[in-house]
Amino acid sequence: MSETAEATAAGEHENAHEHGDQAGPAISVRNLWKVFGPKADRIPRDASYAELSQSELRERTGCTAAVRDVSFDVHQGEVFVVMGLSGSGKSTLVRCLTRLIEPTAGSLEFNGEDVIGMGADALRELRRHRASMVFQNFGLLPHRTVVDNVAYGLEIQGMAKAERRERAAEMVAKVGLDGLGERRPGQLSGGQQQRVGLARALAVDPEVLLFDEPFSALDPLIRRDMQEEVIRLHREEGRTMVFITHDLSEALRLGDRIALMRDGEVVQLGTPEEIVANPADDYVRDFVRDVPREQVISVRRAMRPAEGAEAKTGTEVAPDTLVSTAIETVARTGEHCRVVEDGRLLGVVDHASLLIVVAGLDKDADPEDAAPEDGTEREVAAV
Amino acid sequence: MSSPTLTKGEAANPAPSSKEPAEAPQEAAPPSALARFLGNPKTLALLVAALVVVVSALVTGDGTWPRSLTADVESPLNDLDNWLVDNRDSHWIFLYFLLHISNFAQAAYDTLLSLLESMSYVGVIVVGTLIAWAAGGADRSRRALRTGGTALAVFVVCGALDVWEPTMETLALMIVSIILSALLGALLGLASGVSDRFEKILRPVFDTMQVMPAFAYLLPLVLMFDIGVPSALIATVIYAAPPMARLTSLGLRQADPTALEAATSLGADSRQRLLTARLPLARKQMMLGLNQTIMMCLSMVVLASLIGAGGLGSEVYEALGALKIGDALVAGVAVVLLAVLLDRTTAAAGERLDDVATTSFSRAAAQLRLAVWGGIAALTAVFAAVGTAVAGDEWPENWVVDFTNSIDTAVNWFTDHLGSGIPLLGGTITWAEGFTEIVLNPLRNGLQTTPWWALALLVAVIGWIVGTWRAALTGVVCLALIGWMRLWDVAMDTLSQVLAGLVLTVVVGVLVGVLCARVERVDKIMRPVLDTMQTMPQFVYLIPVIALVGQNRTGGILAAVVYAAPAVIRITAQGLRHVDPAAMEASNSLGATGMQQLFGVQLPLARKSILVALNQGVVLVLSMVVIAGLIGGGALGYMVVRGLSKGDLSQGFPAGIAIVCLGIMLDRLSQPAAKRSRD
Repeated sequence: MSETAEATAAGEHENAHEHGDQAGPAISVRNLWKVFGPKADRIPRDASYAELSQSELRERTGCTAAVRDVSFDVHQGEVFVVMGLSGSGKSTLVRCLTRLIEPTAGSLEFNGEDVIGMGADALRELRRHRASMVFQNFGLLPHRTVVDNVAYGLEIQGMAKAERRERAAEMVAKVGLDGLGERRPGQLSGGQQQRVGLARALAVDPEVLLFDEPFSALDPLIRRDMQEEVIRLHREEGRTMVFITHDLSEALRLGDRIALMRDGEVVQLGTPEEIVANPADDYVRDFVRDVPREQVISVRRAMRPAEGAEAKTGTEVAPDTLVSTAIETVARTGEHCRVVEDGRLLGVVDHASLLIVVAGLDKDADPEDAAPEDGTEREVAAV
Repeated sequence: MSSPTLTKGEAANPAPSSKEPAEAPQEAAPPSALARFLGNPKTLALLVAALVVVVSALVTGDGTWPRSLTADVESPLNDLDNWLVDNRDSHWIFLYFLLHISNFAQAAYDTLLSLLESMSYVGVIVVGTLIAWAAGGADRSRRALRTGGTALAVFVVCGALDVWEPTMETLALMIVSIILSALLGALLGLASGVSDRFEKILRPVFDTMQVMPAFAYLLPLVLMFDIGVPSALIATVIYAAPPMARLTSLGLRQADPTALEAATSLGADSRQRLLTARLPLARKQMMLGLNQTIMMCLSMVVLASLIGAGGLGSEVYEALGALKIGDALVAGVAVVLLAVLLDRTTAAAGERLDDVATTSFSRAAAQLRLAVWGGIAALTAVFAAVGTAVAGDEWPENWVVDFTNSIDTAVNWFTDHLGSGIPLLGGTITWAEGFTEIVLNPLRNGLQTTPWWALALLVAVIGWIVGTWRAALTGVVCLALIGWMRLWDVAMDTLSQVLAGLVLTVVVGVLVGVLCARVERVDKIMRPVLDTMQTMPQFVYLIPVIALVGQNRTGGILAAVVYAAPAVIRITAQGLRHVDPAAMEASNSLGATGMQQLFGVQLPLARKSILVALNQGVVLVLSMVVIAGLIGGGALGYMVVRGLSKGDLSQGFPAGIAIVCLGIMLDRLSQPAAKRSRD
């Protein structure tokens, strides 16, 4: 697992170079609301409603606020994960991004361009060329072949048949469905069908890929394959991705940054490491309680200042090396590691400081949670 | 006398009232079942109403609608009829509108019939078989060969039975009406699938159309277009279009929402979404609609022989009138074969749509299909040009097998030996007479002697219990309309037949339905039988009934039961089978016996579908009882049939309206439960 996490990190660096020329965030969301119910637009305007909980709001007004005053930026080339349990508003949020669901209030920009004010034509152009979506239940057309499904977006753009089929065939190969182009979706497994969905989204060469719980309907092994596929694609192309999931491990594996949603609000936004190491509230803490911390937290958080001769000896590791990797190194060499960035010594990690992270005893963790759980100990033993 | 009505009222209620006390025995001394039963204000009202009916019938002994509350509807209708006859060729509304329609209909029919004739029997058989084969997939698969084989066999048998010519007439009428009603249906379905407003307007219209007996459509058309092919054709198109429209709309509305959202997310505008996603996704439902539309076309085309449509229907009709059972049966068999052919062919085409989703695309197969259809078109042209020259224009005489005499002999033998006079058992005709005397006559007399206000009260109470005050009001208004048209006594006669038929149908239907649902072997045997029975036109059912029990009211009721039972059986069996498997498993795990499971779990949980079955039964029984006016059922049906065939509107029209009133009343009295389940 650590390898993939590293891979993602590496990918991020590449992307930073690739998209360096584009300034500003890919998507910028400010104070976005989506309220369902009668006279929905009064809810965001009236501050007195803001304090109410979901059930109080429904009782008082008959409205449900699926997305409440959400603001965030999606940076160029990053994988931005929105995670939350079902009913937290994450699927509504992602649909608001291309106005598949019309937001009630707030502002929304795509590479600096206002989306809320777009007319029907401009909005269609946005959907055709700049953002495309992968759905949980695939949304394939059963009467079309794989190639024709992949070419569907291009067909809607009005591309000529030969050209779009050629392009679609490339995409089919790219997602690993070579030779299945003339099949129909009904003949494919769930994982293969979602690859078709992915290829369809890729075929239009969008600036942003939106994923709405794309792998929830797949069984765990296939899901893992598909996650690898997304990581690979991201590393190769560096496309900006917004990824919705209810699966914490998926979020941690894929996300450069994670927005954690609850009852329509973002409760915490940060890197996987920040969220696991430094939960914003009890809800988040509860959420990440079972996460194997050493696989998310880096040595930067585990290190202490070097004492005496320690600065001269020990293997060098980068500050964003995962604790689990450092544990392996320390166990193998039998001595501490030095954390070095650009030739400068930041600190050292040894058995004790690494174990503190595994046990959840580091300063950011909740004191009540300090007692190491059985599961965590076993993890250490396994390492 | 009012007993069947009473049992029907109870049927809506018994499960909860008898079950609940048994399930909660521990709670502080529950009131006795009887007390609970009486405590319910609705059941109490029903009992009171029933009591009023019985007492008032005994006291007054005469129940006719008062003369002072009626109107003479015959004279104005006669005037209208006369005016129509005088003006049909001169008034502008005919000249510039209606005449165009009827001319078009006639021309389309003539063109097609002459095409079929010029292709000669060889051409029709070859092209027909090829079309069926192509619809089945145009390859060497079992389905394609079976569909083609069915077509070949059907055509050959129709020829051999010496009904080739009427078969071609029917076929020509069918093809025109199928094309027109499928087009009309698809357009209406498209409109109501895309626009909510259209859906809101069309839905109640279709709902009402479904309740109306088939020949109710013939009356107004005869009024406008006179007797003949145009009336028949237009009536058929109007009658058969709704299923296509309904299912098209349903298909468009049910299309996979994720696929549609995906289309939107890729930037499709609404036109693109409709053409590339919604319509293709609705194909299966549309095919189902086409199948139903075709079967309804056949039913109507055959029935339309009453107004001079010709073809197989009129063979049956004339033979029935002359009591030539052999002739009627031969023509009836041809109708059934045609039904089987059309049903199998469209079903095969529908199955192929299913296959598309699970087979790879192959260029060779697609090209082959194109070539086959091209070939069929070319063959049609060739045969049309040279068919008669090659094969002569009539089915060869020496290829005909005459069954009619042997059938007549067999029927005579049957009536002589099994109809009556069997020691102890009696015989079918004796039974029929017995049924008439013991059940039908008392029921009819009872309904006729019950004062009209008592009956209206009962209808109102039942309507109120089963549904809302609106159902009660509709029922009473319908009754009043019948009385107002001076048809009270005749309508009571029809009503008595419908009620008797309905009770029999529900009893038979539910029993067989339970058997089908619980015994796999019965289901396996019944399924193809039911499939075939549901595709057959109403007319056909009358033929064997006459042979069995002769021309009388019981015959009509028997036909109605046979006609309506398949639908009831099917809905009941489906309802029982779809009972929550977890509930079934739970009762199994508690060690319930088969009977306990049936009465404790399956029947109560399937109550809704049994009520739907009852509602369906009402509509079907009524439409058959009315057609049975042809074979001695008398009453309203006879008036309508005679009015139609003699062009006597002043008789047929009010009777037709009275039947529609009865239909709407019975439907409303049995429907609310069905409506709830739909929501």
